[in-house]
Amino acid sequence: MMSEFDVIVVGGGPAGTSAAIRLAQNKVNVLLVDRADPPGSKNVSGGVLWGNDLGKIIPDWEKIIPVERLITRKGTTFLTKDSAISLDFSSRKFLTNRTGYSVLRVKMDLALAKKAKEEGAMVIGGVTVDSVARKDGKIIGIEQDGDTITSDTVILAEGANPRVAIDSGLRKPIGDRDVAIGVKQIYKIPEDKINERFNLSGNEGFAGEYVLGYLPDGVEAGGFLYTNKNTLSVGVVVSPSHLRNYGQMHSYDIMEEFVQHPSIARLVEGGRLEEYSAHLVVEGGLSSVPKLYGDGYMIAGDAAGFSFSNGLVIQGMNYAIASGIAAADTFIEAKEKGNYTAKALSDYQKKLEESYVLKDLRTFKGIENSTWSSMAHRTIPDILERFLFRLNLEDGLPKKHILELLLRSVSESGHNKTSLALEAYRMMRRM
Amino acid sequence: MEIEEKLGVLNYKTDKSYAHITIDPVICETCPDRFCTFACPAHCYTVIDNKINFKYEDCVECGTCFFACSHGSVKWTNPKGGHGIKYKYG
Amino acid sequence: MTLKIIVMMKQVPDAEEIFIDPVTYTLNRTAARGVINIPDENALEIALQIKDKVGAEVTVISMGPPQAEEAIIECMGRGADRGILITDRAFAAADTYATSLTLAATIDKIGKYDIILAGESTTDSGTGHVGPGVAEFLDIDQVTYAESAEVVDDKIRVKRILEDADEVVEVPFPVLVTVLTGANIPRRATLRRKIDAIKKGIERWDHETLGLPPDWIGIRGSPTIVGAVKVPEEKKRASKKISLEQIPEMIDELFEKGIIKREDGA
Ligand SMILES: Cc1cc2nc3c(=O)[nH]c(=O)nc-3n(C[C@H](O)[C@H](O)[C@H](O)COP(=O)(O)OP(=O)(O)OC[C@H]3O[C@@H](n4cnc5c(N)ncnc54)[C@H](O)[C@@H]3O)c2cc1C
Ligand SMILES: Cc1cc2nc3c(=O)[nH]c(=O)nc-3n(C[C@H](O)[C@H](O)[C@H](O)COP(=O)(O)OP(=O)(O)OC[C@H]3O[C@@H](n4cnc5c(N)ncnc54)[C@H](O)[C@@H]3O)c2cc1C
Ligand code: SF4
Ligand code: SF4
Repeated sequence: MMSEFDVIVVGGGPAGTSAAIRLAQNKVNVLLVDRADPPGSKNVSGGVLWGNDLGKIIPDWEKIIPVERLITRKGTTFLTKDSAISLDFSSRKFLTNRTGYSVLRVKMDLALAKKAKEEGAMVIGGVTVDSVARKDGKIIGIEQDGDTITSDTVILAEGANPRVAIDSGLRKPIGDRDVAIGVKQIYKIPEDKINERFNLSGNEGFAGEYVLGYLPDGVEAGGFLYTNKNTLSVGVVVSPSHLRNYGQMHSYDIMEEFVQHPSIARLVEGGRLEEYSAHLVVEGGLSSVPKLYGDGYMIAGDAAGFSFSNGLVIQGMNYAIASGIAAADTFIEAKEKGNYTAKALSDYQKKLEESYVLKDLRTFKGIENSTWSSMAHRTIPDILERFLFRLNLEDGLPKKHILELLLRSVSESGHNKTSLALEAYRMMRRM
Repeated sequence: MEIEEKLGVLNYKTDKSYAHITIDPVICETCPDRFCTFACPAHCYTVIDNKINFKYEDCVECGTCFFACSHGSVKWTNPKGGHGIKYKYG
Repeated sequence: MTLKIIVMMKQVPDAEEIFIDPVTYTLNRTAARGVINIPDENALEIALQIKDKVGAEVTVISMGPPQAEEAIIECMGRGADRGILITDRAFAAADTYATSLTLAATIDKIGKYDIILAGESTTDSGTGHVGPGVAEFLDIDQVTYAESAEVVDDKIRVKRILEDADEVVEVPFPVLVTVLTGANIPRRATLRRKIDAIKKGIERWDHETLGLPPDWIGIRGSPTIVGAVKVPEEKKRASKKISLEQIPEMIDELFEKGIIKREDGA
């Protein structure tokens, strides 16, 4: 029997929309379904978009996607209770070697869904897919409210909480180790004020990542602050296992602790809170990647565990886009042979192995452990704070050599030099 | 700023005929950790008179509580048909 | 013969997303996304309930910009059979008189109908003129403030909610009924029906389709003159957390400030 569609894509995030755009451009009869109305309006990122892969499907993507600012200044900051120790890097090199744009997902995803529609995809928002439809073990489409809608292949791109894939047994349920909880706030601040505060001009943007080394009870979290045109994206990311094992902190209190830190409070001051949001961040690394394809289906983006995070920077949109395109290309080739079995779709895995998607995941195997290591959150900031305080303090005593100051800070912090060096070395290797 | 105030700026299209998340009060009754109350970023799980009180109306659909509860009390589904949280920025 | 029902639906900016610009004190709707006017969802639901019970052909009509197509598809996804979008630059800036006339002309053009359902008022302009206005132009009976309705033989039985009473009336066809906000819980669209709706498509009519002279519609056909728009002064609201013991103290304070008064005036 003929299927109603060639492909049904479940999920209108960057993975799903990229797949639908690529498929529609190649005259594939594709249906894109998103549970949000309008599509994308439940999605959250930090968000700095490394969008180069979008160029493959939308040559002028920087115009089509409502990007906010081009990141030209980056900051990495260790926050302790009283201090902020930053590495600030701004470079004109970023103007020619574009690293990333700040984006707001609701606008971005809607633009991508519109693009998919323009290219000929059928795009439907406001409908939640219940499950995949099976026949003789093969996936033959999806189920919604008792109806079966058939397609030769289903691309599951449902994001970090993939109910359809989990409930259909196509991947294992999410656990503490696979994800982190991201909480985010948007503040409205006039454009010129942002430029002034962050030392920017025009559409230049700042992207800062923070290590929150001052939370009570040993809870560790990362923070981010990104500039948009006339809003700031400010958020924290905390591992559930960490929250579970240490102390009695609420995830939403960590968000508040972050914006109350003096060095952040200054930056958001006067801003009106426009939005509060929360979303899972995929953290699990290679061990949480499920089987990526089978008879009549492929899994892409966050749903497949494709994301990179070193505790500071989160990249996921770029992997989502790359994997969405790879899934589309796999289908286009399979269609030529009219064969949508697991064997035919296994090319998807090959494509991902050859691209940075799976290469990066293999390179950074094990990084998730270092991400939350107390080294980054406690030890380094503690030693640095002592060291920099001494270095910059004029206390009327004879000056010391820098190395001596540093060693003294280490011993004062109560850490053993050798084990510290060993741990630092291990962490650096994984990063 | 209090969490309730933060949730107050959000736009929800509440589904009055379907609660997308449900808990089993019997399991919660004897729960030793009540970790859901710490993990949920939208303050949907609270303890009132030593009982767990759950409001699905404030849920932002992050998915945390499903695995945060290690006692199998939480039944988690997506809201149906465009209901639930509707972000402006994301 | 199948019953013919027409539902009038307006796409309005999401009320949750309209805010008063703190600088200019004007309503800022630019950021607000379009949604179906809430009582129109309830009107559609009543139409679909009648369709479920006695069978009917439900047509949704909407006058608005091209983006209103999404809202019509959503209505068809819930069960409406046909969607007509009345869209034309010439309709722009219509007041409630010109809007009612245009919608009445649309209904005349559709031809046969038994029941017209409308929302009681909109969340964006909220005049409540349009339903009754259409009934007047068509010269048919109207029933306002309906909470529910069912078809009994050749009549519609409507439950009206009035300030001091509920009222049940029976009216023969053709009739126009306006429906209260929150009268029912609207059903959800299904994927199957939304796919079918997109495949079937909606109809787009303009002033020529309707045969309406340009002088009768849009801004030229609108006798309303806006004298002035005033934003009521914003009263600062304050909230604070107090303990149980502090309640009497606070009540005293409210009396002092004249915010509350004793019934005897003392
Ligand atoms: C706080 C935070 C900060 C981040 N920062 C960055 C960053 O700076 N840079 C970066 O590159 N990445 C970042 N990420 C990661 C990035 O957001 C994700 O990797 C990316 O969104 C994955 O895209 P996706 O298309 O796979 O999934 P999603 O974007 O989650 O899209 C999935 C879509 O599927 C829909 N859906 C789910 N289930 C169903 C169903 N049953 N039926 C219909 N539709 C369904 C959802 O509504 C959604 O629209 C961040 C993430 C978080 C949470
Ligand atoms: C003083 C004044 C000045 C205005 N000036 C302008 C202006 O300059 N430019 C401008 O664009 N608008 C203007 N408007 C708004 C415009 O008149 C109304 O949006 C329109 O006539 C509908 O009226 P309403 O929203 O009050 O509908 P109501 O009468 O409150 O609506 C009742 C019901 O009628 C139906 N209905 C209403 N409108 C439609 C529609 N378009 N399609 C299908 N069904 C519908 C729905 O079922 C709705 O629930 C003005 C309004 C007023 C009161
Ligand atoms: S939902 Fe789970 S974690 Fe929360 S109280 Fe119930 S059993 Fe405990
Ligand atoms: S899904 Fe997230 S926001 Fe919703 S109740 Fe669970 S933890 Fe809270």
